[in-house]
Amino acid sequence: MTVGPKRADVVAASEDLKRRTLAHTGGPLDRLIYLASMRDYNTGLYVHEGLADRFSPEVACEALANCHRESFQELTQLGLEDLVAQLGLYMQATGSAAVDFIRAWKDLEPYRVAVPAGTETLLSDFLFSNLKVALEVLQYQHSPAPARSQAA
Amino acid sequence: MIQLIPFVAVGAGLLILLLLVLLRPSAPAEGSAGALVAAKRTLESLQLGLLPAGLVEQLFGQGDLSYISSIGSKDLNNLFLAERKRLALAWIGKVREEIGVLKEFHVSQARMFSQMSRWTEISVALEFADLEFQCRVLQLLMRWRGPYAAPNLVRRTAATAERLCAGIDQSLAFLTPRLPTSVRG
Repeated sequence: MTVGPKRADVVAASEDLKRRTLAHTGGPLDRLIYLASMRDYNTGLYVHEGLADRFSPEVACEALANCHRESFQELTQLGLEDLVAQLGLYMQATGSAAVDFIRAWKDLEPYRVAVPAGTETLLSDFLFSNLKVALEVLQYQHSPAPARSQAA
Repeated sequence: MIQLIPFVAVGAGLLILLLLVLLRPSAPAEGSAGALVAAKRTLESLQLGLLPAGLVEQLFGQGDLSYISSIGSKDLNNLFLAERKRLALAWIGKVREEIGVLKEFHVSQARMFSQMSRWTEISVALEFADLEFQCRVLQLLMRWRGPYAAPNLVRRTAATAERLCAGIDQSLAFLTPRLPTSVRG
């Protein structure tokens, strides 16, 4: 019988991760993308060497998965206006030009691979839909004034 | 030799029947663990994924619509309404589907596990029928008039479904492991 990591250790590792790393991110969208990037796409397991050294690979994996689920939940609870603001902040943090960022996100839809495993399909669909609309809003906000008046 | 043919034919027939009986897929036992676990999963999906008041409010509340309208772009407005209509129909379709699964479970299995009185069973059956009706009406209204056609009916449907789930959850409570006091959050 395999025994999972102790709950108390996972909670401690999650707190550690939040204090040392996640506190310095801009918001739930940054956290979601960051935490999704910690996941090995071939195994679905989360890898964080620093956290694994302080605790254990299993505890670190569980803590990262929990934080990932939390940031996803946080993001889905945002209203559209706040989501647009989050997307704008994230875009600024990447340092990309608005036009390039928006085009890449519309074409590649990178947020689709950032969803935690086991998420209810409708919830992920809800986030994707909101992000799709948020990208359009962002594009509208960054378009020159004449183009805006034509679209209105 | 010819007299043996009927006996051989009967023997072969019996052998074929025996094989058919052996190869028949086994029917699930009444009250099987599989049905219970599937019902529990459906309940969790409804209670944690589809019915939380926050999600219902975000999907059907006016907040996002007001924001998009305030931007003043017709294209954005149309895109938003199309997306929300798609999501609203997906939501009601999923709720209806999962309520159907719970109804099946209730009809076929629930009496094996819960001490339900006849009266409670009838009232649960009526609630299932009411919910099914509400879901159908909502689907029609949303197809016809969009996602914001009947916000009060949406809230009422979600509340009815939530109440029904809570009742079934109680009869399946023995499937939820109790955490020791020391690790409870």
